[in-house]
Amino acid sequence: MNQTIQKTKNRGWMLLNYLSLIAIVVLFNLGKYHQWSTGISIAGIASVVIFIGTFWRAFLRTRFWKMVHMSSQKLDEREISLVLNALKYSYSIFTILCIVIIYAFAITGIQLVDVVLAGGLLYLAHTLPAVVVGWNEKSVIDFDQ
Amino acid sequence: MESRKLYNRIAVLRKEREVSRKELAKKIGVNYQTIGYLEREEYNPSLDLAFKISEYFDLPVELIFSPEPLKPLSQELKELHHRKN
Repeated sequence: MNQTIQKTKNRGWMLLNYLSLIAIVVLFNLGKYHQWSTGISIAGIASVVIFIGTFWRAFLRTRFWKMVHMSSQKLDEREISLVLNALKYSYSIFTILCIVIIYAFAITGIQLVDVVLAGGLLYLAHTLPAVVVGWNEKSVIDFDQ
Repeated sequence: MESRKLYNRIAVLRKEREVSRKELAKKIGVNYQTIGYLEREEYNPSLDLAFKISEYFDLPVELIFSPEPLKPLSQELKELHHRKN
């Protein structure tokens, strides 16, 4: 399989996964602070389904998730450097994102810190290293054997 | 610090000895994908890995890796032969 196409597809699945996560957080807050209408409920369920499906496709099937969570003793020197680099970048991205959220809440006076947002940030912290690996790597699985 | 690109003959040697990427990877203790990265010269191995590769092919490390583009092995052997005579 063409590895550039594979890389673009992986990026697309990762973006879709994060978009569905944002949709879940937004829809949950819409329902919580306004009203749980049928439309919001259907959109919420659809977002959860897309979120689970894209998580499987973007992180589990590609093995990016497994790679970044694997013990370093099971990785070779190239993979270790790849994971360390991914952890370094994801740490920076996550820190900046958290600071932006905290400042945005502080400036606007909105207090939306709830279980869904906290869960979303926890998910982000766990998946960002896999996203960094997947964004730069063609694949963890060798397609050109 | 940006490291220099290292050129190598892994792909040629592997094909000459009819060894698959998976077999070579197993022998030197890396993921088979790393062999692909090494062959495409997209990854510079550590000194330890370079020695493991040279030990596997039973060739001096400088014959497999070089910071300059490598000539075909036949040409290099010819030049070596001329230098000896």
